[in-house]
Amino acid sequence: MNILSVFNIGLLAATLRGATPLIFAAIGVTYAERSGVTNIGVEGIMLFGAFSAVLVTYYTKNPWIGVLAAVIVGGLLGLVHAWTSITLKANQIVTGAAVNLLAVGIPNYLLIAIWNQPGASPMVANIKPLHIAFLANLPIIGPLFNSQNLLAYLAIFAAIVGQIILFHTPLGLHIRAVGEDPRAADTVGIDVYKLRYLCVIFSGMMAGLGGAYLSVAQLSMFTKQMTQGRGFIAMGAMIFGKWTPIGSLGACLLFGFADALQLALQTIGVSIPSDLLMTFPYVLTLIALAGFVGRSAAPAAVGKPYDKG
Amino acid sequence: MKKTPFVLSILLVFSLVLAACSAAATPAATAIPTQPAAATTVVANDAATSAPATTSSSKLVFVMVTDQNGLGDQGFNDLSWSGMQKAGKDLNADTKIVESSEEAQYVPNLTTAANDKASLVVGVGSLLTDALEQVAKANPNTNFALIDSSVDATNVRSVVFRQQEGSFLGGVIAGLTTKTNKVGAVGGMEIPVVVSWISGFEAGVKAVNPKATVMVTYAGSFGDPAKGKEIATTEYDQGADVIFEVAGGTGVGAWQAASEHGKGVYIFGSDTCKYSLAPDNALPDVVKNVDTAIYDTAKDVANGSFAGGQQSLGLKENGVGLCDKTYQALPDSVKTIVEKAKQLIIDGTLVPPTTKDELDKFTSPDLSK
Repeated sequence: MNILSVFNIGLLAATLRGATPLIFAAIGVTYAERSGVTNIGVEGIMLFGAFSAVLVTYYTKNPWIGVLAAVIVGGLLGLVHAWTSITLKANQIVTGAAVNLLAVGIPNYLLIAIWNQPGASPMVANIKPLHIAFLANLPIIGPLFNSQNLLAYLAIFAAIVGQIILFHTPLGLHIRAVGEDPRAADTVGIDVYKLRYLCVIFSGMMAGLGGAYLSVAQLSMFTKQMTQGRGFIAMGAMIFGKWTPIGSLGACLLFGFADALQLALQTIGVSIPSDLLMTFPYVLTLIALAGFVGRSAAPAAVGKPYDKG
Repeated sequence: MKKTPFVLSILLVFSLVLAACSAAATPAATAIPTQPAAATTVVANDAATSAPATTSSSKLVFVMVTDQNGLGDQGFNDLSWSGMQKAGKDLNADTKIVESSEEAQYVPNLTTAANDKASLVVGVGSLLTDALEQVAKANPNTNFALIDSSVDATNVRSVVFRQQEGSFLGGVIAGLTTKTNKVGAVGGMEIPVVVSWISGFEAGVKAVNPKATVMVTYAGSFGDPAKGKEIATTEYDQGADVIFEVAGGTGVGAWQAASEHGKGVYIFGSDTCKYSLAPDNALPDVVKNVDTAIYDTAKDVANGSFAGGQQSLGLKENGVGLCDKTYQALPDSVKTIVEKAKQLIIDGTLVPPTTKDELDKFTSPDLSK
């Protein structure tokens, strides 16, 4: 057994595959929280997204239309969360939790109602990996690009664009202002509600996209609870990444890497119990948070409804 | 006017919470009830749809309770439920299923099932052991059955399978099929049942192919197909050309990895015939006839001959075996060795290991002669 044999290009490819759904969701919640609204419903929205993508792909035979549907459904759920938490000023944790609990029941029910198949959907078409000739032919790192589909590139692109918008444009400045001090922002004429609505709907769309990646890109089916806590991990990545899209991207990649590594180590048969190895991504995150990232502070107004008075 | 949003929000949150609670905390929403109204949209249940709910008190009622893995695993749970449904149909009984979504629901779900005048409550899966023992002792007049684990109580029939006997044969096939001398195993969680599946498999591989290495990877969940696919991809990347999955819903992803890999790699699974998931790559699955075991138990209840106690089912009792359709497609040279191993196991001269320690000490008789 050669431990070094796990450090191959396949490990990096697995890292990116595992990180992609997290990156989408993490960028989304970063925007929501930057605008002052927390959205713990991402886990449930991802699940709804994964389900919608499969449902629409089943009938249209085109997984891209499925992805579009997941984004729309995610956006609608984001709208519901925005309405309850911004307009109605409900407790954001409660409405987010409600979305998560609905996601436990509704897709399972629909699986039976639509396909009479409890627990899992039929197989549908999925998004195939993209073969970009000049990337795939690169020496050494070529294979990294062989197994990725367009959505993986889109995730990285979204993190870069997300960073630029949030920190280098007037729109980003307004979003951050609304999340830090909505009263002051309101006083200078920024529409607090509008920006918060936009950001929360965006977070829903991104979570839907992350869910669609799981069901119609990585796999080609929906199974109940298939997100397995990835929405919560994405929220962790957002905090780890200090509420910035690029930081979240890094955190998701680190988490994806740690998970891919523990699987590879199990595979080559290191003599560490599997249950212990599985904690590796979480332990690594703890160490990184405690030792290297330093204090990360949430936007000041996050979680607090704003009353225009 | 200012109060409207407030009242609305209270109402909305309340309704959301209510909806959410009913989905998660009580079995009602996750269960698939047999009332006619629900049964038309829910799982088909012939015996139940024709009978009004009011007369069900005189009918037999069979209730199946799952752990959080539940239906849709294309294996263990789906198979158990199909055995239960067949029993319901043949014995004109009502059948119900309650899927637990977390550990804390085991006891309430089993208790609800017992209080529901059930003639038989079947707990499917070893994770339910402690909860079932507790509920069975509190309800001494209800008949219980537990699959994959045992409980010492007079009103509980514990059915355990010697899955290692079946997976040994699977290992023999894998060991004879691999060209790279590397085979992989994908496990759901590292729990005793899964470990015995995989130990038997490893022993079978080594018995016919001592040069082969076996990679074993656990996902930590039975419900994460994306991770199952990732594990299988990793194992194929590391040179494995045959994979055995014992991972329920997680394993479905491993099948997808095989199917996308194309010809030249093989996969087979546990519990039930799954070749339709990747027809070009399928080796014979190791089947575990939980459906028959549950059917027989239900029949005993209907006949009044139900008794508690331990039941152990292996190759000899036809409790485990190989998926016939894919088995018949194997070359005769392989089948001869498999049949030989099968005979030795039935005779009791070959005892496949159930744990890692037993696996280390295991030496196989020569199967090639």
